Amino acid sequence: MTVTDRVEQVFIRPDGKEKVTGAGRYTADLNLTGQAHAAFRFADHPHARITRIDTATARAMPGVFAVITHVDVPEIRYGGMVSDRHLFAHDVVRWEGDVVAAVAARTPELARAAAAAIEVDYEVLDPLPDFVANAEPGAPLVHADWQSYGGSRSMGRDGNILGRSTIVKGDADAAMATADVVVRGTYRADASQGAPIEPRAVIAQWTGDKVTVWTSTQVPFAARDGVAHTLGIPQSAVRVIVPLLGGGFGSKCDFHFEGHIAALARAARRPVKLVFSRREEFIAPDHRREGMLIELETGVMRDGRIVARRGRLTLDGGAYCGEGGFFAQMAAMHACGPYVLENVNVESRLVYSTNQPSASVRAPTAPQTCWALEQHMDAIAAAIGLDGAELRRRTLIEAGAVGPAGQVFGEVGAKQALEAALELIGYDDYLRGELPDDEAIGIACGWWPSMASPSGAYVKLNGDGTGVIITGAQECGSGAVMGLPLLAAAELGMRPEDFTLHYQDTDSGPWDMGASGSQTTFNNGRAVIEAAREVRAQLLELASQQLEIDAAELELADGVVRAAGSPDVAVSIADLAGSGTPLLGKGSGELPENPPGETSSCVGVLGMETFLAPQLITHAARVKVDRQTGVVRVMEFAAAHDSGVILNRIGADGQVYGGVLMGIGQALSEATWFDEQGRQRNPGLLDYKLQTASDAPPIHIRWIEIDTPNAGPRGSKGVGEPPSVPTPGAIANGIAKVIGRPVHELPMTAERVWSVAVDSLGLEWIDTSGKDPSA
Amino acid sequence: MSGRTYTQAGSVADAVAAMAAGARPVAGGTDLVVGARHGKSPLPQAMVGIHRIPGLDSIEVDPNGAIRIGALVSHAAILDSPLLAEQAPGLLDASAIVGSHATRANGTLGGNVMNASPAMDTGAPLLCLGAQAVLTGSSGTRRLGLDELWISPGRTAASADELLEAIELPAPSGAGARGSAYVRLQYRRQMEIAVVGAAAVVRLSADGGRVADAAVAITAVTPVIVRVSAAEACLVGADLSGGGEELEAALQAAGRAAAWAATPISDVRASLGYRTQMVAVMTRRAAAAAIARARGQQVRVPASDWSVVR
Repeated sequence: MTVTDRVEQVFIRPDGKEKVTGAGRYTADLNLTGQAHAAFRFADHPHARITRIDTATARAMPGVFAVITHVDVPEIRYGGMVSDRHLFAHDVVRWEGDVVAAVAARTPELARAAAAAIEVDYEVLDPLPDFVANAEPGAPLVHADWQSYGGSRSMGRDGNILGRSTIVKGDADAAMATADVVVRGTYRADASQGAPIEPRAVIAQWTGDKVTVWTSTQVPFAARDGVAHTLGIPQSAVRVIVPLLGGGFGSKCDFHFEGHIAALARAARRPVKLVFSRREEFIAPDHRREGMLIELETGVMRDGRIVARRGRLTLDGGAYCGEGGFFAQMAAMHACGPYVLENVNVESRLVYSTNQPSASVRAPTAPQTCWALEQHMDAIAAAIGLDGAELRRRTLIEAGAVGPAGQVFGEVGAKQALEAALELIGYDDYLRGELPDDEAIGIACGWWPSMASPSGAYVKLNGDGTGVIITGAQECGSGAVMGLPLLAAAELGMRPEDFTLHYQDTDSGPWDMGASGSQTTFNNGRAVIEAAREVRAQLLELASQQLEIDAAELELADGVVRAAGSPDVAVSIADLAGSGTPLLGKGSGELPENPPGETSSCVGVLGMETFLAPQLITHAARVKVDRQTGVVRVMEFAAAHDSGVILNRIGADGQVYGGVLMGIGQALSEATWFDEQGRQRNPGLLDYKLQTASDAPPIHIRWIEIDTPNAGPRGSKGVGEPPSVPTPGAIANGIAKVIGRPVHELPMTAERVWSVAVDSLGLEWIDTSGKDPSA
Repeated sequence: MSGRTYTQAGSVADAVAAMAAGARPVAGGTDLVVGARHGKSPLPQAMVGIHRIPGLDSIEVDPNGAIRIGALVSHAAILDSPLLAEQAPGLLDASAIVGSHATRANGTLGGNVMNASPAMDTGAPLLCLGAQAVLTGSSGTRRLGLDELWISPGRTAASADELLEAIELPAPSGAGARGSAYVRLQYRRQMEIAVVGAAAVVRLSADGGRVADAAVAITAVTPVIVRVSAAEACLVGADLSGGGEELEAALQAAGRAAAWAATPISDVRASLGYRTQMVAVMTRRAAAAAIARARGQQVRVPASDWSVVR
C-alpha cells in the first residue's frame, strides 16, 4: 500500500444522528414480553472463604422466579488468558465484585431485595490489596491453586506473579557504568476506569436449546464463546446481538455477565434482563485500568545519547487475569518508548491482588508508563542541560533504528510528529518566555502497535444497486465499523451512503476479535476490501458479457461499469445487480506478519516485543496551574500522530478529541481509590471525576501521513488508542515546569500538585493544631 | 405498587395541609429524586409537588428595599436577574456553579437551602447577605435567619408542616458601596461539589477608602455553613489606599482566621490538611473579589473560575 491510494473523504457516520438525537436504542432500552429482572449478590468481603449459602428465604419471596448460585451451573473455570475463575464463587471470593448468586424477579427492586435476602456465611480472610507486597517471595497467595489453572505457559506465571516479561538488549549494567549521568525516578499510578456512559446491560432469552443474548459488549464473539464454554453448550446454541453500544473504552472487552444471565434465564424459564446501576458499573466489571509502580533508571551521555535503560514495573492485575495477561510485556515496551536505546534491561510483573481485576482500557499500560517515562526524559534532559524537546529530537527512532527487542524499524514519523506538535503549540514562543508565570508547555512522545488479527466480511449488492456489508466487527463508538462503507464504495465505484451495515450479530457476521486493539480498520477494513473486490470481479464479468468488452478494459466509477477511455459505453451497477445474478463477495485478507525480533534473552514473550506498523505520537499541552490550590487546567493542546494514511479525517479527529480528553481525566482527576480492604471509595460519577466538555481545551491536530511498511488498508494504521498514550505525560511535564518540581503520582490531583508546590514554591502552611489565636 | 402518593399543590395552603398530613415537598427534585436513586434515602411515602404554586417563582423588591426571592426560583433564573447581579453577585457566583446546566435549570434556591447540606453553594453567600427564610406552616408565617435554620447536616429548624416560601435579603444599611463574592475549590468546571468554599460580603466606608463592614462564611468544612467573625474582624478597617499592602495583610489574616474556624474531615475528595489550607485560600479570594466588586472593578461570574479571571 502507498499513500497514493489515499481516499479523500469526510464521511459522517451513519449512526451519528440517532445517537445525538436520542433516537438510538441501546440494550437497556429493549424489553421482551414476560421478562424478569436480574440482580447479583456480590461478595460481602473483598477476601473471604464462603462457608454457607442459603437461598431459601430469597426463593420464597413473592415475585422471585429464580435464584442461582455455583451449584446451578457446570463447574467450569474460564478466563481470557488464564482460567482462574468461575461464573459464581463457591470457595473463595477474591474481590468485592465477585458474584456469589443471581436472582430473577418481577421488578429490579424485588430482585435486589431478594439478592440481599440470600444468606451467605464467610470465613473472612486478610485482604491482599497491596500488589507490590504480593510480588514478594513468600507473600500470601491470592490463588492457592494457581498451578492447576489452565493458561498460557509463556506468561511467566509464578504464585502471585500472573505475568512476568523482560526485555533485554546488550548489557545495561555495564553500559550504565560508562554513562556521563545516571538519572533515576520512581512513579506511582493509581487505577482508573473506562467509565462508559452506558452502564452494562444484558438480556437473555431461550428458545428450546438455543439462547439469544443481547448485550453491551465490545467483543460479541468472545461473549458468545464465554457463554458456550461456561454453560457447556455448543457455540451454535448461542447467538449474541449487540444493540447500539454506549461507549466501552476497552472496559466492555472480554466475556463478562452474559453467562450469568443466560443461566438465570434458563432457570427462570423466561427472558431475563440485567441493567447495572452506576455504582455496579464501577464495582462489578472485572475490567479497570491497572495501578502501577514504575521504577526507571537511565544512563545518558552529555550529548543526549542514551546508553542504558533499566526499569522495573509492577502492575496490579487484581483478583483475576481476564484478557489482561499481556500487560507485563506491553508495559515493558512502553518503558523503552520510541527512542534509540543502546542497552536495555526492563523487567515487568503483573501481580494478583484482592482488588478489582484489571484488563484492557484504551491503550492498556501505556498512558501510565509513558507518563513516567516522559517525566523521566525531562529529568534526563535537565540533568545534561538540554531542553526536553532537543533531547527527544536527538533520541527518537527513525528508519533503520533498532528497537529494544531487535526490531529494525522502517519508515516512522516520530520526529515529524515531534516537530509538528511543537509548531502547533507554539513551543518557540514559550521558550522565548512569552507565557505568564503560571503557564508552561509540556511535551511527551509515545507509541502504540498496530495489531494483526484474522477478520472477515461479506459484501452483497441489492437488486437496485445498493449494497450491504455484513461484518463480524463490532462498533464501540469509535466509528471504525461506521467507516467501512468508504472502503467498499471505493472498490466498487459506488458512494459510501449506498451501503448499509449488518453487524454485531454472531450468527451472521464472520468471526472477529471485536472492538479492541485499534485494529478494526486495520483488519476488518482489509476483509471488506477483499470482499468488495470479489463483487467487483463479478460485476466486471457481467459487464464484459453485456458490453462485449474485455474485463481488463473496463472500470468502475460513478455507479457504472464503463469502458476505460469511453465513458459513454457503460452499464449501471444497478442494472447489473438487478439482472438476477447474485453479487456476493467474502473476504478476510492476508494477515501482515509481526516484524522479527531478537528475543532469546527475554522471558514472557507474547508477541508484543516488536511493534507491527507502529503509530508514533507527540502531544504538547499548555497548562495553567493555580499555584495556591494545585488545580490544573489544560488551556491548549496539540496532537501530532503518525497513524499512517487517514481514511476519514472527521472520524480520526474525533478519536483524538476523545482520547485527549480521556487522557486529561487520567492525568488530573480520574482514579479509582481503594480503601485498605480493597473496596472502592469512589464508585460514582460525583467522586470519580471525568472531565466535562467545559474542561476541554482547544485541541490542534496534525496527521503525519507517511508510507508505512506493512500498514493496513490504503496505508492506514490505527487511531483509537494512541491519543490516550502521551496525554498524561505532556500535562505532567507542563505542571513540573510551573511548580518547579515533578509530581510522581498519577492522577496529578489538585492536592498532589499542591503538596509538591508547598515545598517547591514555599507556600504558607497554616498550622491549626494548637490553640486558636482568636479564641 | 409501592403505596406512594404524589399530590399537586395549587397554593401554599394546599402544600402546608399536605405536609401537615405527612407529605414531603418536592420542586425540582434534584436532591430528593437523585438522592433516592443513589440509595441515599428512599423517596418519601407521600410527596406534594409545589412547583406549580403561583407566586413562588419571582424575584421582587418590597417597599422597604428587601429582595424577596421565591423558593421556586431556579439557579438559572438567579443568573438571569439583573437585580441580583447588581445587589448580590456573590449569590450568582454560587448559582452559576451548582451541578450542571440541567441542575441549574431544574434546581430551586428553596430546595438548595432546605436540603441543608454543608456543601451547598448558595448557603455561604446567603448567610453573609443576612438572608432570612420565610416559613409558612399551619400556625402562620415566621422568619428565621439561616444560622437559625440550619441545625446539622441535612436538618433544618423548620417543622414538618412548614414550607419555605421565600428567601429575603434585607435592604442594605449604611452608606458606602457593597460587594459580594463566593469562591469554591473545584476540580472541574461542571458537575462539581464544593470541597471548600467561602463567601464574603463587604461594605466600604462612604469615601471608599476602607472596609467598613464585612461578613465571611465558609462552606463544606463545618457541620453547617457558618460565619467566621474572627475573619470578618480582620477585614473591617482595612485601608484600601496606597499600594494594597494593608489590604493584602488583612486578606491573609482573614484567611488564617477562617482556617482556624474550619473543622474539616479527610475523605476521598481531600485530606483534612489540604482542606484547612484551602479554607484560607478561598476566604482570601472571596474577600478580595467582594472588595474588588465594591470598588467597581469587574470580577466575572463565577468568581471561582480562576483560570479565566486571573
